[in-house]
Amino acid sequence: MPREAEPSLNEKTFVLQALQEKLRLDGREFDQYRPLELTFGEEYGVAEVSLGKTKVLAKASAEVTVPYPDRPLDGVFQISTELSPMASPAFEVNRPTETEVLLSRLLEKTVRRSGALDTESLCLVAGQKCWSVRVDVHVLSHDGNLIDACCFAVVAALRHFKKADTSIEGGVLTVYTPAEREPVPLGWLHSPFCVTWSVFGEEGDIAILDATRAEEQVRVGSCTISLNRHGEICQIAKLGGTAVEAIALLNCTGIALTKAKELSSYLDGKLAEDAKRRDKSGRAELLTAENDRVTG
Amino acid sequence: METQSQSFVVLPGDAIDPSIIPTTKTKPLRLGPGLRHIPPSEIVPTVSGKLIVDPRKNSMWVEYNSHRYIPSQNDLIIGQIARNAADFYYVNISPYNSNATLPHLSFESATKKTRPQLAPGQLIYARVTLANKHMDAELECVSSTTGKAEGLGPITGGMVFDISLGFARRLLMAKSKDEGGLQVLELLGEEGLAFETAVGRNGKVWVGSDSPKIVIIVGRALKETDEGDLGVDAQKKLVKRLMRDMR
Repeated sequence: MPREAEPSLNEKTFVLQALQEKLRLDGREFDQYRPLELTFGEEYGVAEVSLGKTKVLAKASAEVTVPYPDRPLDGVFQISTELSPMASPAFEVNRPTETEVLLSRLLEKTVRRSGALDTESLCLVAGQKCWSVRVDVHVLSHDGNLIDACCFAVVAALRHFKKADTSIEGGVLTVYTPAEREPVPLGWLHSPFCVTWSVFGEEGDIAILDATRAEEQVRVGSCTISLNRHGEICQIAKLGGTAVEAIALLNCTGIALTKAKELSSYLDGKLAEDAKRRDKSGRAELLTAENDRVTG
Repeated sequence: METQSQSFVVLPGDAIDPSIIPTTKTKPLRLGPGLRHIPPSEIVPTVSGKLIVDPRKNSMWVEYNSHRYIPSQNDLIIGQIARNAADFYYVNISPYNSNATLPHLSFESATKKTRPQLAPGQLIYARVTLANKHMDAELECVSSTTGKAEGLGPITGGMVFDISLGFARRLLMAKSKDEGGLQVLELLGEEGLAFETAVGRNGKVWVGSDSPKIVIIVGRALKETDEGDLGVDAQKKLVKRLMRDMR
């Protein structure tokens, strides 16, 4: 399995020594994110997220398929992640590293299994036709904290995405082009965000947010908390590593909640900004046929 | 004849004005990186950058900021010991290069019995002695003429920061203030920070100091100067800001 270049002994000791003196290499606080930036593409459902030097592109798309025979009333929803050699020399095509497997598992748990997307609303004709929604995540540049950046990109892409409007008359399914009918957004129930803590020190007493790659390489453990802005925790992943005190973990979840709220309001702001930019005629409100739905 | 070195901006394949090519009978004309001689008498740039003509050394080369380090002879680099072999160490120069070799006897006063024991991951400051296109590079940590280390050898403590190759070359210039437009290290020294640095042409700079705080300040100053391509005035502002943050 391909591996990343190990940091040198000097770097390892220095990062730890600095953290013990409450210093980070880029001068950030322990619970401070790098500057987060989100840009939407021209198409619906394209989101590019950059977190410092980490860059992720997510693209959502939808097509009509046959539902799974055991779930005739559900649509199909999948997230596929790809770590290309462009992001880091350690990644190879068609040879998933541990990072990639863990990343796709975490995204799956956070977004799919938490029921963020209402898959039942993707059903068109029970047992025969449904929407298949797919998000492709491409990591363009890897400088640590891929999980948080990817999760944010996936949620942003899905919330921005609009699928073609459809109608069924007399058993005939019609899919309308954007010119005929305004595309409709997905049935979105809540927005989960990942917040990853990296743990340092022999007893795991130092915890920092948004670790860079250099910091990730010397950490002794990490803990990813997925939650939405209402404080509903979707999952906590603490995969191996040094044991962490329960009280410290509780403290981490508290800070994670404030971060999730920040991320959520940032995303809402960006979505509103993009909707305003697209709505040149000022008649978007009139063109939509959907009913209001309280989303979280 | 002009003695000062001159610079021009060139693009790949540009025709070079024959009048700027230095001509002396005593020394042969030396072409540096980025230039290619097409016989009989054509010199063509292969990259875009600043063409530097130095009549004193009778040489010309293109100064440009590339991303991949290609070892060349007499370059000073910061490497990392990858593993030990029978009579040499394998040294990692960058994740994209194949490992270079560093013979066990290429250290100051090293013999078969008293050679330095270096653990994998140890940083070393070394000079490239052999660099051929299709062979692994060879390094040394001792001057082959004087037999002294001259600052080369294992590096202890401190922190390494990645910088661009062009920035590393500018830092290594004898007059980095005038030619390279870099004053950031001097400014930091004037603020009373005590630190030492070692610059590797492979795009790495090592900063050492007693206090991690100073190492971080110097490292951030260097990285921000490099990434923002700051001029001397902006460097002054940056140093002031970093010093304020520190307090």
